[in-house]
Amino acid sequence: MTNQSQPQKFIVPIGPQHPALKEPGHFEFGVDGEIVTSATIRLGFVHRGIEKATEDRTWVQNLYLLERICGICSNIHGTVYAIGVEKLAGVEIPPRAKYIRTIVAELERVHSHLLWLGVAAHEGGFDTLFMYSWRDRETVMDLLEGLSGNRVNYSTNLIGGVKFDINEKQADEIRRGLDFLEERTHYYMKVVTTDETFLGRTRDIGTMTREQAELLGAVGPTARASGVPRDVRSESPYLAYNEHPIQLQVHDGGDLLARFIVRLNELFDTYRLIRELLDHMPAGDLTVRVPRRIPEGEVLIRGEAPRGELVYYLKSSGSDKPDRIKVRTPSLCNWGTISHVAVGHKLADMPMLLVGIDPCFSCNDRLVTVNNTQNSQDLTWDALRRYGIEYYK
Amino acid sequence: MTIGSMFGNILRSLFKKPATENYPFVRKDAPAALRGKLFYDPEKCTGCQLCIKDCPADAIELIVVDKVNKRFVMRYHMDRCTFCDQCVQSCRFNCLNLSDEQWEMASLSRTPMEVYYGRDEDIKFLLEKAAQPGADDSCGPAPAEQA
Amino acid sequence: MNNIFPLIALLIFPGGLFLMASGLVYEWVDRKLIARYQNRVGPRWFQPLADVVKLLAKEEIIPTGVSRGLFVALPVIGMAGALTAALYVPIAGFAPSFSFAGDLVVTLYLLSMMTLCLGLAGANTTDRFSLIGATRTLTQLFSYEAPFLLALLGPAIVAGTWNIAEINNFAGQNIWLVVTQLMGFLVALVGLLGKLEMPPFDAPEAETEIVSGALTEYSGRGLALFRLGKDVELVVGLTLVASFYLGGIANPLEFLLKTLGLLIVMAGMQSLFARLRIDQTVGLWWRIGALLALVQLLVLIVVRVLR
Repeated sequence: MTNQSQPQKFIVPIGPQHPALKEPGHFEFGVDGEIVTSATIRLGFVHRGIEKATEDRTWVQNLYLLERICGICSNIHGTVYAIGVEKLAGVEIPPRAKYIRTIVAELERVHSHLLWLGVAAHEGGFDTLFMYSWRDRETVMDLLEGLSGNRVNYSTNLIGGVKFDINEKQADEIRRGLDFLEERTHYYMKVVTTDETFLGRTRDIGTMTREQAELLGAVGPTARASGVPRDVRSESPYLAYNEHPIQLQVHDGGDLLARFIVRLNELFDTYRLIRELLDHMPAGDLTVRVPRRIPEGEVLIRGEAPRGELVYYLKSSGSDKPDRIKVRTPSLCNWGTISHVAVGHKLADMPMLLVGIDPCFSCNDRLVTVNNTQNSQDLTWDALRRYGIEYYK
Repeated sequence: MTIGSMFGNILRSLFKKPATENYPFVRKDAPAALRGKLFYDPEKCTGCQLCIKDCPADAIELIVVDKVNKRFVMRYHMDRCTFCDQCVQSCRFNCLNLSDEQWEMASLSRTPMEVYYGRDEDIKFLLEKAAQPGADDSCGPAPAEQA
Repeated sequence: MNNIFPLIALLIFPGGLFLMASGLVYEWVDRKLIARYQNRVGPRWFQPLADVVKLLAKEEIIPTGVSRGLFVALPVIGMAGALTAALYVPIAGFAPSFSFAGDLVVTLYLLSMMTLCLGLAGANTTDRFSLIGATRTLTQLFSYEAPFLLALLGPAIVAGTWNIAEINNFAGQNIWLVVTQLMGFLVALVGLLGKLEMPPFDAPEAETEIVSGALTEYSGRGLALFRLGKDVELVVGLTLVASFYLGGIANPLEFLLKTLGLLIVMAGMQSLFARLRIDQTVGLWWRIGALLALVQLLVLIVVRVLR
């Protein structure tokens, strides 16, 4: 604290290390009493240089590196990347592999949404809901472990297919697990939509209109809770979403409650979808051969992560290593909505508001260019390199 | 609109066994698909090194003792392994697999993290050679050089 | 030899050691119950003691910008207030060690010392989380204190005395007051939650917003004393409510059963609700809590006048 004699803005710093955040990020909320008057976001504490690191690993090795961009939605990174590489190589993976990829992606969505439900409840001080939802999330973690052998980074994909099959016994186990989870999700839906104390923390908090959501470029459940019908799975279906379309879950509320409802409704749709996929699994191979050297070319590929639209740009120069990989994660798109709607709310609402978009900090900490109109300049790669060397001299 | 809508659940929990797994005391069986410690069968290996090329974590090294007679020793760094199964998938001769039984690999020192697979006499030969002072390191590149 | 008895009362039983030990036990029961409500295992029986011992063994860091004297003294004063309050209540079913006409008011004020010390401790540091925590602590004090006081006055008015021991006797001889004064009982019980800053009234120390509230800068001895003080307050508060509303406390067994019964209800309330924002807390207390307590009091006075 500096000079206290003159009145100045009282700023509450949250992060980089703060009990509300399990990952480092920095937020400064200017408060007047309990009311937030300004909000600033600073990211970049977990910049790991992954995009650069991909350039000196082979296409195969990158599959595992990229899977580690995010700890929660790890599989979708590998899946989208693999789809991209297969597209570059011009191969089509067998239909059974497509179904397995879709099932794992949807199981991951179940785990991610249940995790979010718990975290959001914890930020609202409702630890009982937190404990229960995480207890039940264990079911889907066990299912994924039974399928892939890993609990967090499932490593489902190979370039050109998947690593494991789903046999009838496993399918039955999944069905049983889903039955249990569906019953529990109904219960949680009832709790979050009827419990008066919890509603007091979510209803009309952080309301974002459809116009704002579109303007700020929100994606995923955050946008869908504001009434924007945007979901890559239905906009440009990939994998098995063509044969088995999803039902888009949209809500007009725009507040935190709407985000709870959208995510829980998505869970119901996901349960339905997984059952449908399990019932209609085509027989056949799991893999197809993909050359180690990927032909020259570039591709932009999209997928729907649990948090929203995930974009991969891949460029190959014909070698066994990529030329450039660019990742845009959904969390990054949603940050803008926080600083926008935070002003005017109570300080106590901030953690819930932050968590409302289901942020993943290490997901989005890659190079972000701040476009300052006065000093904006285009740098060539060499110039940027020289600039970097000079900067750190 | 209700207040305390989780009442039924918490009341039932009071008389239920906790959901927490009492792990070190009660062990659950691992699923058959579990990816645990890597095992290597030197008899089937042809020394094609595809697994090493594909390993994203530089966790395995293949030391060639005698190429003609197909005598190889694999040095496996357990602490680097990410258990992604890529090497197993890359191997066309099925000489690698991830165990579903050995998965409790935590250790207080790094020594048990380095595992040698191969014929006993080959491993012994290599270790003795490495122990000799001033001996040139034919056991493949040292970890420091790779980094 | 005449001086020995008060000394024992102060240091060993029912004051001092016994209180601290029972405070730790009650904290453990509370934590264990919440864990079981949440389908978890919960801590082992010595965990609260281990925490306190660990904290006492640690270095106490005094941050810059604080008044050192206050920083060191406040935990002691808060703890002393809670311990002194215990001398006037029938701890463990024995007659209060000290007693005079009107000790109820003194006890209630002594119990508030802890909260005041917390507020001051937060305001004393320059840490922003502490400052907000202190503001919230004091705001909460103003919201629950009046209804809580009114709720405990109900039994006093019925018994026609301000002496805790006499009210306890009165409650033991008559029908349980919880039957006739249900509203007062509820307000007192919820008020106790607010007083101890337990969920859902833990906005002053909401970890996801302001880290640890007023205690953010405290470490080592100070933190241990504050925590111990809160545990002691838990025991004293439970004893007060149990002796007033649950038919008095006449022997140790009754004490154990009644306070633990109350604790089961309180732990359930702690795990049932989401945390209230501080504005919701104030609104709840003044719109519902105070109103309930006032209505209760009015009814009692009217009944008394009519008789």
